Amino acid sequence: MKIFIIGAGFTGTQLARALVLERNNVILIDNDPERVRYASDQLDCTVLEADGNNLESLEEAGIASADALVTLTEDDEINMITCSLVDAVYPRIQKIARVRNYAYYTAADVARRRTKSAMPASRPLYGIDSMLNPEVEAADAISVALEHGAIGSVIELDADFGITTLSIGEGSPLVGLPFSELPKLDGWHYLVAFVESGDGTTSLPNGQTSLAVGDQIGIVSRLSEISQLVAYTKTPQEKLRRVVVFGADRVGSLLLARQQEKLHVARWKRLFGISAPNSYQKVLVVDRDPDLCRETVERFPDVRVLCGDVTDEALLTEEDIFSCDLLVAASGNYELNLVTAAYLKSRGVKKTIALTANSSYGDIARKLGVDVAVPMRGTVVDSILGHLRGRRVESVHSVCNRRFEIVEGYISPKSPVVGKRLQDIIDLGAYLVLLYCPVTGTSYEMPRGSTVLKADAHVVLITPAGDTRLVARFCGKE
Amino acid sequence: MAFSFLRILTYVLGLVGTSLLLPLGIAIWKDETSAIPAFLVPMLSGWGVAITFWLRAHSRPRVFDVQHAFGTVGGIWIAICLFGALPLYFSGCFPSFTDAVFESVSGFTTTGASVLSDVERLPISVNLWRCETHWLGGLGVIALAVALIPLLGIGGFRLIKAETTGPDKAKLTSLIANTAKMLWFIYMTLTAVQAFLLWHVGMEAVDALAHAFSTMGTGGFSTRNASVGAFGLPTAEWICTAFMLLASVNFTLYYRVLTGRFGEVSRDSELRTLLALVFCAVAFATAVECSSWSEIGTTLRSVAFQVASIISTTGFMTDDYLTWRPAAQVVIFILFFVGGSSGSTAGGIKVIRWTILGKQLRNELRRILHPHEVFTLSINGCSGREAFVPVVASFVFVYMLLVLATTLAGALAGLDVFTAFTGALSMVGNVGPAFGGLGPTSNYGALAAPLKWFYMFAMLAGRLEIYTLLILVGRTCFLRNHALFCRTSEKSSEGRHVCFSSGRERARSYELDPHSCGHEDRACIETAVKVGSTEDK
Repeated sequence: MKIFIIGAGFTGTQLARALVLERNNVILIDNDPERVRYASDQLDCTVLEADGNNLESLEEAGIASADALVTLTEDDEINMITCSLVDAVYPRIQKIARVRNYAYYTAADVARRRTKSAMPASRPLYGIDSMLNPEVEAADAISVALEHGAIGSVIELDADFGITTLSIGEGSPLVGLPFSELPKLDGWHYLVAFVESGDGTTSLPNGQTSLAVGDQIGIVSRLSEISQLVAYTKTPQEKLRRVVVFGADRVGSLLLARQQEKLHVARWKRLFGISAPNSYQKVLVVDRDPDLCRETVERFPDVRVLCGDVTDEALLTEEDIFSCDLLVAASGNYELNLVTAAYLKSRGVKKTIALTANSSYGDIARKLGVDVAVPMRGTVVDSILGHLRGRRVESVHSVCNRRFEIVEGYISPKSPVVGKRLQDIIDLGAYLVLLYCPVTGTSYEMPRGSTVLKADAHVVLITPAGDTRLVARFCGKE
Repeated sequence: MAFSFLRILTYVLGLVGTSLLLPLGIAIWKDETSAIPAFLVPMLSGWGVAITFWLRAHSRPRVFDVQHAFGTVGGIWIAICLFGALPLYFSGCFPSFTDAVFESVSGFTTTGASVLSDVERLPISVNLWRCETHWLGGLGVIALAVALIPLLGIGGFRLIKAETTGPDKAKLTSLIANTAKMLWFIYMTLTAVQAFLLWHVGMEAVDALAHAFSTMGTGGFSTRNASVGAFGLPTAEWICTAFMLLASVNFTLYYRVLTGRFGEVSRDSELRTLLALVFCAVAFATAVECSSWSEIGTTLRSVAFQVASIISTTGFMTDDYLTWRPAAQVVIFILFFVGGSSGSTAGGIKVIRWTILGKQLRNELRRILHPHEVFTLSINGCSGREAFVPVVASFVFVYMLLVLATTLAGALAGLDVFTAFTGALSMVGNVGPAFGGLGPTSNYGALAAPLKWFYMFAMLAGRLEIYTLLILVGRTCFLRNHALFCRTSEKSSEGRHVCFSSGRERARSYELDPHSCGHEDRACIETAVKVGSTEDK
């Protein structure tokens, strides 16, 4: 595939690297000479110094024959207008734009839904096939982790199913048990997607795999059953009543908005005693910027806002932050997030969630004792990869420090697996079929060995990262 | 020559003159022939000046800037109070012009303090006019004028802002004239409903109408010496209680109810505080006053009536609270400081101001405990309203200053301290009755004339929320060289401005730097070079 990337910042270069690894023809464009030089030193792709929003220079670089355009500059408006310009001349090219302004993002979403029902054939807003908002995705990930008690990060696959990463605690019945024996455990009807041992090695499980204390496993289950998984893994669990959110800027405020929505629902449910255990929390926000604090307290009257430095010992003792149940470090300073989370965890905060720069920080976060690390830029690269893997791939989630990918997609009618039973094609240890849904619109189910794969069925796979041939075998190349 | 001010003034006078049609009709209907000229002469003269100015009006209406709006509103209120005194004086029922003006000021400002000891001997048409002044002054004559006279629509917002009460003045519709119409429509409907109910439970039609005027304007004049209690109708007392409370609610809330925006009503901080206050006051005073279970019904009725009467600053009475137990009297005394809601017809400091100060106090206390926490002040569910705090604080300060000054005036005139203080509270808060020598059963007739004039000033200042009148007085008395009304002369536009200083009550011309005057008063004055000779236009 020939892919144009406008903007050679951190995300742009990371995406280019991932795409080059998959043997794509990548053209990276930026107008900053310093960045261009750095990127051309690092990457095996064409790097051009030009204005991304100049159609002439794009044409010179050969946009006419491109398959996709990804705009990742710092400016939302430039990203959107560039897509719009290219769309006017080359509507065939798939266009992906990063849009950070939440208002644009939601407006585009509304526009998409309305025009889709009214005029199914119409072009999307500004010709952008998919808008990415990394902040929204990160805030959603934190919100989901928070809802499930911050026992581990949760990847939601649909409204029902998700993959939860849990660490094995003392006294877990899973310890030492080979996986072939797992179904004999009382009530076990889950699937282990991947195993990350304490020494850092990762693997896809087979019948002989067994677990030790300190290992992390990804378990496929219904979202409603996540709390029951803890009975098997014995992950330390806490009731989260007092939550401290560090950082009230983009991700922080989006997270607060999510929590406020939940609180609104929870108020009614609490009245009848049917609310989820972690739906009601006392939230305390800490930020250094007085203007941001003022804005936050005006927007979210239910939360308390402290203006000060989170590293200020006096502030932390004054407000008794060490005795909080959960810290969410969601500021724009990702390194400080990690350090703060690790420090407060060591001082007695029961659970911590940290927003990190990218998924390679996951290991460090785990070693520092941070319970959940939500990568910020990883989600962007994941989403773009998902969009570029072909139209039949819906999304890609990287796990285990980008060593595995969880791929959601539709089985191609031309695929060699169509009509075969799962037990005939499965290659344990190389990949796993996690979930299967024969008819679009219905819920997923856990596949069995006897399940027969049908064309156009929805499927969730876990594969080694970058193994495009395997994905293409299921979902086709287009 | 202050043409636009005079034009608006005459229109308002014409309007008030027209409203004399009602008592005139009653006088004709009830055969009170002696009262007919008392209404007819002011009415015709009001129409006369209005028509004269209407015929002279060539220019387009101008937009008022802030200072002119305040000056205009203050001037109009003084003028209509004097105008409203004419029928009272001409009817011959008032011993002096001072007394007639006092009664009129007390009427238009919805105070309800009377100089008469026996109102029952007045012709019913005069009594009705007394009550009608409450009704006209309650929601504001200028609001009525803006609603009815299209000419005033432009720039009318500034005028209405200077007249309505409360710290936060909002428009309901994009055009101020529509807002004014809407509010007056609601006001008239409520009045009509109350008048009908009172008539339905057994009052005479004219009495019912007079008391409805008096209640909705939160005034307090009655057609009987013993006020509403004289009728001996418990149902009527409950109706009055309910409507006094309704009149002390912000009228914009009724508009929101009519347009189905119930959420905004239930979020309204002021309404919640008002209801909580009324409930607590009634419950506490009833508990103190009630001596046995058998009389709880009558005690509750009496307490609820007096509490509603004082908090809405009406001043109707069914019972003399001076005979109550001290703790219950203190409840009434505290309510003298509270007043109704902003944007209602009630006077006083207003519930919203106490709500804002209370919230600020809570924030200050929390700030001591949590020095790093950031606080916001939310009013009606909207956060970030800290800017109101200094405005409200300075208002309460100036209000208290005025009360103290009025107390001093009362004491100079020979009243005892408590009577003078509560009298001042009653005057500035537009309540009516006070404590001690000015209690519910007494009247203001025996006071010295200078004190009456001072009380009139206090009532007007209280009705216009002090600033309007202070600005007017400050400009005319103390800063006499500041031109109050300044506008470009229509005939000569080359930097020649005609300014009107009402302090000296005559016109003067100033030669001005043509570049300096952007209709800004201050700019006018600072660059004004006085021409040697004064010329009258």
